[in-house]
Amino acid sequence: MIRNIIGKEILNNLLSLRFILSLLLIISLFATGGFMFVGKHWQESNDYWRDTNRNLSSLREHTNHLYELVTFRQVVWRRPKPLSICAEGFENTLPDRFSFDPFTWDLPEVRSRSNFLLPHFSDIDWVFTISLIVSFVALLLTYDSICGEKLSGTLRLMLAGSIPRHKILLGKYFGAMLTVGIPLLIGLLISLIIVVFYRVVEIDTGQCFKILAIVLLSLLYISIFVLSGIFISSRSHKSASSMVVLLLVWVGLVILIPSFGRIIAGTFNKIPARVDMESRVTEAIKQIRENPDKFGKGAGSYHSHEDNPPATAKYYDAQVDARNAIMDEYLQQMVDQAKTGRYYTCISPAIIYQRASEAIAGVGVHRIADLCQQIKRYQENLKEYIRSKDAEDSDSLHLLFQFPSDWVAENWHAISDKQVDFDNVPKFQERDLALGQSLKLAIWDIGLLALFNLVFFTASFVSFLRYDVR
Amino acid sequence: MIFKIAKTELLLNIMTFKFAVGTIVCVVLMAVFMPVLVNDYQQRLNDYNRNVIANDAILRSVKVYKNITPTVYRRPSVLSVFSEGLEKRLGNSTKIEYESVPQINMAITADNPFLSIFPSLDVSLIFKIVLSLLVLLFAYDVISGEREQGTLKLIMSSSLPRYHFLLGKIIAGLITLALPVTIAFIIGLLILEFSPMVDLTGSDWARIGLIYIGSLVFISAMYNVGLLFSALAKESAVSLMLALLFWVVSVIVIPNASVRFAAHIRSLQSRVKIESEIESSIENLKEIEGPKVRQQIVGLTRGGASMGKGAFGRIYVGLIDRSEVEFRMKMYTLGDYFSIKCADKTWEIENGYLNDLLRQKELAENVSRISPISLYGNVMSAISGSDFAGFQSFIDGAKTYRNQVFEYIRTKTDNLTSPSYFTACTEEEMREYEERRNKVNNALDEAEKKKAWEAFVKWVKDTIARQPALGLHDLPRFNYQSSVLSGLRRAALDLGLLMFINVLFLALSFIAFVRYDVRSN
Repeated sequence: MIRNIIGKEILNNLLSLRFILSLLLIISLFATGGFMFVGKHWQESNDYWRDTNRNLSSLREHTNHLYELVTFRQVVWRRPKPLSICAEGFENTLPDRFSFDPFTWDLPEVRSRSNFLLPHFSDIDWVFTISLIVSFVALLLTYDSICGEKLSGTLRLMLAGSIPRHKILLGKYFGAMLTVGIPLLIGLLISLIIVVFYRVVEIDTGQCFKILAIVLLSLLYISIFVLSGIFISSRSHKSASSMVVLLLVWVGLVILIPSFGRIIAGTFNKIPARVDMESRVTEAIKQIRENPDKFGKGAGSYHSHEDNPPATAKYYDAQVDARNAIMDEYLQQMVDQAKTGRYYTCISPAIIYQRASEAIAGVGVHRIADLCQQIKRYQENLKEYIRSKDAEDSDSLHLLFQFPSDWVAENWHAISDKQVDFDNVPKFQERDLALGQSLKLAIWDIGLLALFNLVFFTASFVSFLRYDVR
Repeated sequence: MIFKIAKTELLLNIMTFKFAVGTIVCVVLMAVFMPVLVNDYQQRLNDYNRNVIANDAILRSVKVYKNITPTVYRRPSVLSVFSEGLEKRLGNSTKIEYESVPQINMAITADNPFLSIFPSLDVSLIFKIVLSLLVLLFAYDVISGEREQGTLKLIMSSSLPRYHFLLGKIIAGLITLALPVTIAFIIGLLILEFSPMVDLTGSDWARIGLIYIGSLVFISAMYNVGLLFSALAKESAVSLMLALLFWVVSVIVIPNASVRFAAHIRSLQSRVKIESEIESSIENLKEIEGPKVRQQIVGLTRGGASMGKGAFGRIYVGLIDRSEVEFRMKMYTLGDYFSIKCADKTWEIENGYLNDLLRQKELAENVSRISPISLYGNVMSAISGSDFAGFQSFIDGAKTYRNQVFEYIRTKTDNLTSPSYFTACTEEEMREYEERRNKVNNALDEAEKKKAWEAFVKWVKDTIARQPALGLHDLPRFNYQSSVLSGLRRAALDLGLLMFINVLFLALSFIAFVRYDVRSN
């Protein structure tokens, strides 16, 4: 019987004006998003490889002497990701340039082609279309699912038969899900076909699974709106009032609550201004510089008769440690501030869905924070490599520290001056998380979405059981 | 008869569930948004005041004219609570110095780049989203609803002309919708007016009045759009679908897609390229100017000088030999002229880049003008002064001020030929400086030399500390005004388009209604 109801629901919906308009809107958005992604990804990949190759060729130029690797400052860029077709994660306005030497790093900067005069919108990615448009369409298709039938009198007829109420409800639910699912899946396929056809990206098996996970997540998200449509519809006796309430709920959940993120982040997690952090660094370094003798006589002096390389190494290490401690803390504060905004606004399923898809696609704030951690690990690897190469040179003092000037690097012999093989020098490469790790990050959000589903399902079930069909 | 219809309709409207819910939502949102936004404004105002006071204090401690490099700040606009526009995205301050020409720039202040994942929040959001939805919910069944109930047939069976009926409906609809707007405005303004630190001037009130009028024009435009859908469809369910899809496209799809479209069509140059272009043109300048500078200072007598810590993190010549004066004078003057040249060159390239950004922004804006909601957003930000032109006028003001400061420095230093340009050292101090240094140089033995050196160092330190500040009471003050009129002029196009939408959709609904089949099934 459920199958009959589902079939009837789908047929009813497919022939309606709302379905045809929604289908056109959704498909055109997915197609537009696909074409824009192709153009953008092509340009970003070109930029990325040009800048990365520039960095590598500079690195190659600094392999004539081992000590040059100590002073060389690398600049790496955020790699454009194929999965940003699914979730772009607002990366247009997030930092993309990371500069560092083996000891210190600068706060990441935003240097991409993004235009700061334009409003900060996300790309027309899947998450955008699904979280805003498909969820809206889900409401349009379900707002009168119960009360509409009541008004037309068909509900009374249906219940006069022997069909149990829960079967009607399930039929309605699956009917609506399948109806929303049709434009959604057609849109997703078109978007994928465009991407595959232009061959700008290569999608491997791991990424296929991630895409599948995002599709399932999207269905879970859409299901919340279908259920809430059925719920509100079974609470009201007129379709007009059901629509008013649903629209307000939708506006509140999908548009207004996410807009509070920035203010909430600023209020609940205030962080010091960047200039204050910089003056803290200056102050910390100044304190160390005021008392260099603590590290041994002659610490900090070079090019004089008092030169004491081991003490100077300790002296500069202390400065680097002081700077890094403050910078690490500040970066963490910035990331935490953004996470706080998300955390407090996650009463909105749209935010939860956004966060979960970003985690699975490996984009967004979490990715940038992770990239910074990867850079720190790379710094350690690079230092380890320099140490191992340096150990082979018996003339070297084996003092690896941030050289205050080229003179020290060239004259003290703190680190070997032998040439190194460029091919063996570790190079930075961003690593993506495996599907399991990504899902682990998103597990709480998936749970929350499931919880929303459960709550709305129970609510609609209870309301429909008590619904007065007359 | 029009008014009779309007009165009945108004009473019916006010009694509806959607009116009650819509009004309550608008009022509650305003009551929640306003304090939050005012609090945010107060924080920005506090930062502004603190920065201005700190800058003035440093300015008072300036000892040489060369070090007059203040920072000017843009006072946060109180009306940014209505429309945030670019308020938090563009830099609110700029430095007045030789080395750079004021330029519109991304905010690098306290802002955390990671917060860019959140959309902006302002009062216009309530009107753009909630109110526009409410308007369409009122308008969608004005005609089709009456037809379904069969009342349209009844009304049309009398001698009432169709346009009377339509006008009556429109008047009633607009009055009904003006109510929540007005109530929300009054509540918002009461909260704003009674918040500490908020000082609304006459110009602000004029702007608020314009924002109110703009909001009314906007809801009327949306109402007419809804009316057209209602007059086109036979069933209210169909007109509701059309209205809602129009709404979601106008609110979400067009504003977003226009930005992406512009970014796609008018691609920007990468920042890396711009920066390397600047670097190479500065290198070029150095190659051209360097020999000229060296030629002019070569052969000039050198003496000695001791530097002091100056204002704005710069150093200055605290004490100097008379013989060194001419050399330093030439060096600093030529150096500063070179800095100005470099700044102009950098500005030229940056300005080209900024123009690219602007062209992209204009394209996005023009495309988004299909949506009445984007038009309304533009009106709000232009009148609030938080749009690009509002910032441009601040930067223009800063550029004028930079010239005024340079002119002031030139007047005070006889066109940069007086030593007071770079040193606070008086004639007597110069003499004493030379004598004391000679004493160190002419010491007979090491012990005497050490003693003389220590005395010299102490004297230099004390003298530099004692040197008086310039005071700078007659330094021109930074002042910039953005007038209500210029805001209105910038909003004129969008306001005009909103009015055009009003007229166009009214005319279309009229035509559709005249041909409307009033028979119910």
